[in-house]
Amino acid sequence: MSASFERGINAFKEQIDAPVAAFFSSCVRCGLCAEACLFYTETGDPERTPINKLEPMRRIWQQEYSFWGKLASSLGLSRPVTDADLTEWETLVYDSCTLCGRCSMVCPVGNDIAYMIRKMREGMAASGHAPEGLIGATRRAVTIGSPMGVKLPALQAQIRHTEKDLGYSIPVDVEGVDYLLLLSSMEIMNFPEFISAIARIFKHAGVTWTISSEAFEATNSGIQIGVSEIAAELVERIVAAAAKLKVKYVISPECGHAYMAIRWEGPNLIGRPYDFKVVHILELLDELRAAGRLKTSGKETQRLTYHDPCQISRRGGVVQQPRNLMHEIAADFVEMPETGTMNWCCGAGGGVSSNERADEIRLKVFNRKKKQLDQIHPDAIISACSNCRIHLEDGLEEYEMDIPVLSLTETIAEHLLDREQNEGQEP
Amino acid sequence: MTEITNDSEFRAALDRLDAGQQRLVAAGFVKSVLHLCTDERIARVLEVAGDPGASSSTLAEALKTAKATTFDCHTRCGSEGDWLEQAGYFVARAAVAALTPLGQMPGGVAWPAAMSARMAQTSKSIVTGENTAGQESENQYRLLAGFLNS
Repeated sequence: MSASFERGINAFKEQIDAPVAAFFSSCVRCGLCAEACLFYTETGDPERTPINKLEPMRRIWQQEYSFWGKLASSLGLSRPVTDADLTEWETLVYDSCTLCGRCSMVCPVGNDIAYMIRKMREGMAASGHAPEGLIGATRRAVTIGSPMGVKLPALQAQIRHTEKDLGYSIPVDVEGVDYLLLLSSMEIMNFPEFISAIARIFKHAGVTWTISSEAFEATNSGIQIGVSEIAAELVERIVAAAAKLKVKYVISPECGHAYMAIRWEGPNLIGRPYDFKVVHILELLDELRAAGRLKTSGKETQRLTYHDPCQISRRGGVVQQPRNLMHEIAADFVEMPETGTMNWCCGAGGGVSSNERADEIRLKVFNRKKKQLDQIHPDAIISACSNCRIHLEDGLEEYEMDIPVLSLTETIAEHLLDREQNEGQEP
Repeated sequence: MTEITNDSEFRAALDRLDAGQQRLVAAGFVKSVLHLCTDERIARVLEVAGDPGASSSTLAEALKTAKATTFDCHTRCGSEGDWLEQAGYFVARAAVAALTPLGQMPGGVAWPAAMSARMAQTSKSIVTGENTAGQESENQYRLLAGFLNS
């Protein structure tokens, strides 16, 4: 990842494709995207308006590809983008944007601003203006296979201990099963009970599955930092493992951006379609529920709400499935105001959480989530992304709100109907 | 004389405990892995968790401290993980579970405390390379049986 200002400018030019050019030329500067962005609404800082985060790339587009811009440049009437500009914009592009895509939803001319920020990061990374935290994560993802440095022996230890607790084995490198399960390093390190929950659910539902020892990591820091070559390499590892194990499906776990990376960006990154289908774990659980293979018993009587991870709901389209599952386990399920595709981000996605420099603003903008929660007063929050989960806990602590945060998959596992004890009975 | 030999019996026995008993048992689970956490705040909150006469305000304050400790100890998304530090994080998480009011935790507080304590041992074993699978669960079975028989 050798970087230079010249490489960055060239990368910006390469990133300006037809959609980006169309988006820039159709922006009417209405400012609606500002009100959709929690980094603007919670700070009031006009610099953090989504479209402003793209200003260096817009200037390059204008000067290089528009008639009037080229004319102005040739007459010396426009100011070229400088390294100082990119230094100034680094915090806006990486610290003040989670790629949540809420701005894209409200743009009256249909500009996908999050798509452009993603493109913008390619130029920023190539010019050496990416945060240290993301550079380190990306380096580890390439060399070790995990942005958090989780090696195979660590996963094997977690699996051994899970097997001991469960009393049966977790399938690893089993050929010819239906599903290949990916895991995020966050799950392996911070929430290993997710592995146990999956094993119990799949045993209950009769799902054949495996973990690959060669490609278990679901996340893709190449996408977060903005280096497509690395992002493609990480996708290729999963594709190779899926081919080797001859699986029909690859499961994206409870991680928002992992789903976006493997499901929606992956085939474009590697330039060909997959030989398998990617499903998010919640999609699969809901399919199993609908098919009568996943049966639960009992419901939580607490007031539960669901936090939509942006990359799963808004960007990924998995909106109804978690709600179907919530109704299976919650007697008092309450939606947040502005939910589903218009939910507010927790403030830590898109690489913000791995960027220590962004800690202060990350917690400041959590005030938006606090306002949502203050309107419904839930007893517990359920979500489906380890990163959201940690940040929700952190934000709730910061704002002195005593609300537990739980995983939807793990909560479902706690409610599995004991088929042996309830044979012949309705749940 | 109660004897517990597997997780099914263990969970069933935990489910029969009331809120106060669950907290005391959970505190015992945390205590057995306390040496894996270098943050002194956890030792202090554990004294509160293990006190049968602790007031609700003292418990709430201890929970707040335990939660703050977990945020200071956890491995943030994308940072390089250190499994020994991670062991401390799981100890802190076990303490949070032990101190959480029973009504807030689906499935009770003692079970998640037990699971987090086991994860603390697993994290340590990743560093040391020892195969300790099952040791902490066996220890927890003994602790719970001892509590029930006392």
